[in-house]
Amino acid sequence: MSETVRVIGDTLPGADFNAPLLEVDDLRVEFRVRGQRIPAVRGASFTLEQGRTLAVVGESGSGKSVTSQAIMGILDTPPATITGGAVRLHGVDLLEQSEETRREVRGNHIAIVFQDALSALNPLWSVGFQIGELFRVHRGTSRKDAKLKAVELLDQVGIPDAKNRVGDYPHQFSGGMRQRVMIAMALALDPEVLIADEPTTALDVTVQAQIMRLLKRIQAERNMGLILITHDLGVVADVADEVAVMYAGEVVERAGIRDAFKRPAHPYTKALLRAIPRVDTVGQELEVIRGLPPNPAKLPGGCPFHPRCFAAEDKCATEVPPWIEPAEFHGSRCHFAEEVYTDER
Amino acid sequence: MSELTAPVPTTERQASLWSDAFRTMRRRPDVIIATLVLLLVFAMAAFPRLFTDKDPTQCLGREARLRPDTWFTGDHPLGTDAFGCDFAATLVHGTRPTIALALSVIVASVVIGLVLGIYAGYYGGWLDSVISRALDVFVVIPMLMGAILILSLFRGRVSTESLVETIAAPAIALTLFGWMEFCRYTRAATLETKNLDYVIAAKCLGASDRRIMFKHILPNAIVPVTAVVPTTIGGIIVTESALAVLGIGVQPPATSWGVLLSDGTEWAGGGYVYLFAWPLGLLILTVFAFATFGDALRDALDPKLR
Amino acid sequence: MGRYVIRRILQALLTLGIVLFLLHYLMALSVQIRGNPALLFFGGDRTPDPAMLEQVERLYNLDNSCYERVGDPCITPFVERLQDYVQGDLGTTLNGNRDVAQLLSIYIPNTLRLFVFSVITLVAVSMVLGTWAARHRGRFIDHTVRGTTILADSIPVFLILLSYVYIVAVPLTRWARGIWGTESFMGQVFRPNYNPDYPWTTIIIPGIIVGTVGLATMTRLIRASQLENLGSDFVRTARAKGLKPMRITIVHVIRNSMIPIVTGIGFLFAFMLSGAVLTEGVMGIPGMGRMIFQAVQRQEGNLVIVGLTVSAFVVVFVSLIVDLLYAALDPRIRYE
Repeated sequence: MSETVRVIGDTLPGADFNAPLLEVDDLRVEFRVRGQRIPAVRGASFTLEQGRTLAVVGESGSGKSVTSQAIMGILDTPPATITGGAVRLHGVDLLEQSEETRREVRGNHIAIVFQDALSALNPLWSVGFQIGELFRVHRGTSRKDAKLKAVELLDQVGIPDAKNRVGDYPHQFSGGMRQRVMIAMALALDPEVLIADEPTTALDVTVQAQIMRLLKRIQAERNMGLILITHDLGVVADVADEVAVMYAGEVVERAGIRDAFKRPAHPYTKALLRAIPRVDTVGQELEVIRGLPPNPAKLPGGCPFHPRCFAAEDKCATEVPPWIEPAEFHGSRCHFAEEVYTDER
Repeated sequence: MSELTAPVPTTERQASLWSDAFRTMRRRPDVIIATLVLLLVFAMAAFPRLFTDKDPTQCLGREARLRPDTWFTGDHPLGTDAFGCDFAATLVHGTRPTIALALSVIVASVVIGLVLGIYAGYYGGWLDSVISRALDVFVVIPMLMGAILILSLFRGRVSTESLVETIAAPAIALTLFGWMEFCRYTRAATLETKNLDYVIAAKCLGASDRRIMFKHILPNAIVPVTAVVPTTIGGIIVTESALAVLGIGVQPPATSWGVLLSDGTEWAGGGYVYLFAWPLGLLILTVFAFATFGDALRDALDPKLR
Repeated sequence: MGRYVIRRILQALLTLGIVLFLLHYLMALSVQIRGNPALLFFGGDRTPDPAMLEQVERLYNLDNSCYERVGDPCITPFVERLQDYVQGDLGTTLNGNRDVAQLLSIYIPNTLRLFVFSVITLVAVSMVLGTWAARHRGRFIDHTVRGTTILADSIPVFLILLSYVYIVAVPLTRWARGIWGTESFMGQVFRPNYNPDYPWTTIIIPGIIVGTVGLATMTRLIRASQLENLGSDFVRTARAKGLKPMRITIVHVIRNSMIPIVTGIGFLFAFMLSGAVLTEGVMGIPGMGRMIFQAVQRQEGNLVIVGLTVSAFVVVFVSLIVDLLYAALDPRIRYE
């Protein structure tokens, strides 16, 4: 533990270890395209503690990937701009840090695993080089030692015969193995926060389960905070501790995973849960959410979910719903959060 | 959002591709200017009488090399050439062979390229091997070199009376070494398209090979081909003028811009710069217009490079 | 890797063989249709003594009877020609009766020197412009770069050359000599024609002019590949790894952008060769291009064929090198 503290102190001045590991507070991101300002994230807030797993769930376009890239500090600016909010790591607001400090944070403290490992890895360099690069750049390790570290990491993420495969190129690995390489790369510098952005979406179902187990195992071993971004509530059920549901760029519900599954407090979450096929509902028709996800350039007024909501009333179209907490550690951005929570709606 | 859009059938997708391209092009001022230039040049080729009332073959020796001091007025708005012919008339009448040559070469090259490319890509096997090998061989010899070879080996006297005979020799030589690019694009597009679901579906429904090739594959293959056509036309005009300078293109006394340029160089050093500058300016303007148009077209048809 | 190299070399040899045969066949066809070029030896219209004609025909290897049958591929003379080529015998010129192989040994180095400057110009200018345009994508600089390169590409090389030689070169040379003197570098560099006393200096300008061939194509290639790589997922990964922008550019962008550049050079090489024909002809550089230029004007079929053979050889060789470089640059190629 003492060693970790020293490293963090070196690269993140002012770190307070009593503060939460990662705190995203009212984060706002806009895209400026052809003079138009399109909000992608409209006030996302959640907290991640050490050793916990937070699932961020939402449809494509709900702003969950943009949020993760904003946390990493790797948004393409322009067109994207962060217009407000804070991302606090150990109490230090990363958005206010110099580019140099942010670079140190990337890899050292926060690392990310992308969805499509084939395009996320440089096709022209061996995987060993790409993993070793982190040690060489951040730690000044020699080329030879970096390669040994890479072998070690590949071994840890379950790549058979790691010693001989370290010189192979990304295209020589299968999809699942490539994702393991991605994970090994993210783990290289022992970060405290790992963001997995749809890590299994591009994979076969059987491989999906393997990668999920691997992430869970590693998270437990290293006591990391894990943010699992996905559009599939089903995959997070037995991995996550907490869940944040995003819709149209904002977090609409935040709860412990059991609570969220058992007693959702937002109609959107409820609808999502009904859309998961389950063994006990075999033979029944699966429910779908009617309508299409909103166009972020033309969001409906009031609650952005109201045109698709089964519980909507007139005021939903005009009034922005407040953040209501029907139970401890369980919040929802819905006028009728209490009723939905108690299943009266 | 994109996950939920329904698959659009190809014909509609094609139509929207072309109309999108058209809409993008229409908004660009450089494209509009280029189009106007090209229209003017085509008009000169089609109706030379609209631009000059002089006959370029009526020349008076004593009026030779009159400088165009009067600037667009008087008997000879652009002066006269070395033989006393009205230079404006010569220039305007030289447009037709140039444009006719360029268009016939491009049409022939595109047709050859499309047909060979589709057959090679669709049937594969030995036909593909033969066509691909031919492609490799012809690519080795660049257009100008190939035309030089053919024209210098088979040089002969031709009548200059008819347009066809004037441009036939250089047209054949240029076509012979100009079809490869189109063939290559078509072949690649065919290989890509032929395994798409809707083509396989058409095959399962019992469509004939020819119908599949020309109804389903051709519309896809024609996109990359069209994108390079304008630029290639510009290249052909340039190559023609190079051949003329070498003395093996269109044969005098027939005229083309290349022939005028080649004659003009002899006089440019001696103070008659206009004899060189006018055809030069016209040629560059035309080629630049084709290139600008082609560049915009390529962008419009391939939006990911914008 | 080894198998790929061998396969590629065999393919190149096959292509070259077909090209050689095609050239030979075209020449044979030309002799069969237009009559004997040996007659030129006697200066055109006069009818020479049959015995002498026969002797000259033998001298130029035209004594085979196949040259009298239109369409005959003349295989025997083709094999003989190949044998001669292998032994370094490329025939003699009709005009002046000089040994072609010997001429080539003088001409080829001159053309190579020309190409050194052309390739440097092309790569340097298009790299700078392409990168610049990519950084300022969609803005004024991007459009200006594009318009300028297209314009430069639209003006035929030989016209730039003629304009240079007839309009710019003389006053510029006079001006430079007035300041630095005739024998200085500046006094020679702008000359309108090649001077064998200054074999490097006087080849710079024509080299640069030939280098503008394909400038637009190359700039476009570089711009596109830079845009693609800058916006790629693996560059995002590199940023997520906390690498510095400089390292990202050098390690993760440049190498990936090299592939289209190498391809582009291979592709444009053939066009630069044809640019060299007119450039060398006009500027009087005794190189391969001028040889072809003069051969065309003097109607020396054999010399055109030899010139094109060399050119074909170079193009095939360059594209072979390009493919091998490609394999060295892109690991995905090697195992296909």
